[in-house]
Amino acid sequence: MPAEADFASPAPTDAELIARCAAQDRAAFRALYSKWSARLHGVALRITRDPALAADATHDAFVQVWQQAGRFDPSKGEASSWLTTLARYRALDMVRRRGREVLGHESAEEPDLGPDPLSQLLTAADGGALKRCLDMLAADRRQLVLMAFVNGLSHSQLSAKLDMPIGTVKSWIRRSLLGLKECLAS
Amino acid sequence: MSDSTDPGPEATLAAEYVLGTLDLAEAEAATLRLVTDTAFAAEVAFWEGRLAPLALLSPPVAAPADLWTRIEDSTAGARASDAAERSPSLRAANDNRLIWWRAATFAGLAVAAGLAIFIALRPPPPPPVLAVLTPYGTPTPVLVALAGPDGAITLRPTATIKIPSDRDLELWSLAAGAKVPAPLGVIPQAGKTVPPGVASGTTLLVSLEPKGGSPTGLPTGPVLYAGRLERFE
Repeated sequence: MPAEADFASPAPTDAELIARCAAQDRAAFRALYSKWSARLHGVALRITRDPALAADATHDAFVQVWQQAGRFDPSKGEASSWLTTLARYRALDMVRRRGREVLGHESAEEPDLGPDPLSQLLTAADGGALKRCLDMLAADRRQLVLMAFVNGLSHSQLSAKLDMPIGTVKSWIRRSLLGLKECLAS
Repeated sequence: MSDSTDPGPEATLAAEYVLGTLDLAEAEAATLRLVTDTAFAAEVAFWEGRLAPLALLSPPVAAPADLWTRIEDSTAGARASDAAERSPSLRAANDNRLIWWRAATFAGLAVAAGLAIFIALRPPPPPPVLAVLTPYGTPTPVLVALAGPDGAITLRPTATIKIPSDRDLELWSLAAGAKVPAPLGVIPQAGKTVPPGVASGTTLLVSLEPKGGSPTGLPTGPVLYAGRLERFE
């Protein structure tokens, strides 16, 4: 490709790159990988806490991107959402199969979510509404939801980590989700 | 129930599926439900879209240097699903569904593939004479499942179904009303015969699995084909 072509046209969007993957465009696939592999791998690593498992999850997610690119419809969802969801599900599936209850989760390597993690949501297209709705939850319940989604913790892990009865964890998460749903749907 | 305000698991099952708190058995049951329950699939899609920005809370980490090569090897020349995607009629059928864009659950593909599967329970005495009419001009391979007079099922692809060399297609039966499928074994390139015992009304599923079949006894990969065994009259 002539170098000036890169300057003559704006960078393709993620949705355009995915559409080109559906047309078997390997260069688009490579571009998508360059742009998204670190983010998908970061998502997978946070959940698996195991570099080899995270690499497998990222691998599988990109294979799915290539095989199923024709199924992505930009009118029905964000490309970023589609891509990160693929990696999350693969990572969650792997830790479930490996028995995430026996993996060490109390280690210091588990990163903190930080003092104001939700401010980062504002950089996402749909992040504002999510932040507003999460802000409406009590802080301890919001933390449960975030730890479950971001760190991939199960009910029993959350129970152990926060020293709360598992029934309370389940009940709080369910009620938080019902509140979130009402808020997000409005 | 000690807490009367607890809404119970069903009200938030889709959300918990996306959140990731379901255990292995619950998650597998939910994945299968995505194939058959479009309302559930739509709710999962809602949550996937709404919660996706939370992925920003995980810091990016560079993938291993050799990962791209692995991905290239895994995707070179093998697209198990491209045939279904090339078919305009299947795509149109898919367009009507909220679940269309979801890839991770594979529901859309299974529904689309279901339209291209031809299943009959009452063949003429062997060997049957059979035509499977597929969308004209597309090389879409479909699977034909034909139950003989004794109830044995013959499964044949109409063309080679391309899959990666380190994968196998595996057949599953999902009895009417059942939540969990039973494995019927890996499907060789040429097709396979299933001994009698699969009842009419059973849904047959074909998933993409590691070489040799699912290591867990349940589907671990995408469901690529699905169709229900019904009397052909």
